[in-house]
Amino acid sequence: MSAGFYDYVRGRSDAVPPGYAEAGLKVYRHLVYLGASQMIETHFPALREALDDAQWRFLIEDFVRKSAWTSNYYADLVEEFKAYLARESA
Amino acid sequence: MVGVGFRSEMRDWNPADVQAGFYEVAPENWVRRDREPLYRLRDAGHAVCLHGVSLSLGGQAPINAPFVREVRALMDDLGSTFYSDHLAASGDAHQLYDLFPIPFTEAEVVRVSDRIRQVQDLLGCRIAVENTTYYTNIGELTEPEFLMRVAERADCGLLLDLNNITVNQKNHGTVGIDAFVAQIDLERVTYLHVAGHEFDPRFGLYIDTHSDRVERPTAQAAARLAREHGKPILLEWDNDFPSLATLNEELACLQAFTTT
Repeated sequence: MSAGFYDYVRGRSDAVPPGYAEAGLKVYRHLVYLGASQMIETHFPALREALDDAQWRFLIEDFVRKSAWTSNYYADLVEEFKAYLARESA
Repeated sequence: MVGVGFRSEMRDWNPADVQAGFYEVAPENWVRRDREPLYRLRDAGHAVCLHGVSLSLGGQAPINAPFVREVRALMDDLGSTFYSDHLAASGDAHQLYDLFPIPFTEAEVVRVSDRIRQVQDLLGCRIAVENTTYYTNIGELTEPEFLMRVAERADCGLLLDLNNITVNQKNHGTVGIDAFVAQIDLERVTYLHVAGHEFDPRFGLYIDTHSDRVERPTAQAAARLAREHGKPILLEWDNDFPSLATLNEELACLQAFTTT
């Protein structure tokens, strides 16, 4: 699997890696965004409430772009998000 | 036999009211959670199969051995004899909590089947791998070729998802269920998945949403495999989760197809 695939999926690059179809890559980028957005919104409803849609999207897209998550447990994304906020505001 | 994927919405349902012979759960959801609802299913005489989402058989990070041992402990606790995951990657060297395509290449056959063997050695039993929906992929092999080479080299089981075959056919013009199944060694197939899917005009692609009833041709193909080869059928319904009545109607329909 080329690094380019995951660069696209994370939103680090819009370059379509050789052999892949852009529509399909967009689905994966969308699904990863949705997975992060839903989990973080569930655990930080006040933060979601405080931001408009564009600000929220900017925040989650940045979180995904800088992701290096390792846990097998999806719920651990919450701890990753706290660590991300701590890093970004340091 | 017809079963259903267990959802938190079903937690307060009486197992006797659900027309399911067996259940499937994601181990990731239960390793750290109170397992009382699963004990109730088991005690009511239903098998509980584990179907994981995070093993990342196609990923670049080493197989997470402590996680596999947690799954083993869960299997022992529930008396589960089946554990499967997807023939997919959950990310590159990191987790992205989705299922990404493994290139259908000879090099990946070798690499991924070695990883499956490693999981089986850790568990002390066979696992099954599921053919997945992919929205774009590369490689010189066809999907059934890739699937069979991996299964034979890893000596693992197959969880055959008929809905995924149909979604891939609609999106990529690949083979339909009958032609796909004709290339599969059914001896390796543990059970079948069926589900519903939806078209998403934003992408111009069908998405494997598990949000609807099963298409009739898919249900009929599953029923034929159930009748002729004794394969159990598992209904996945994860989004727009229906009422008990609607779910029972769908389960009864799948069951009726298998006996007529």
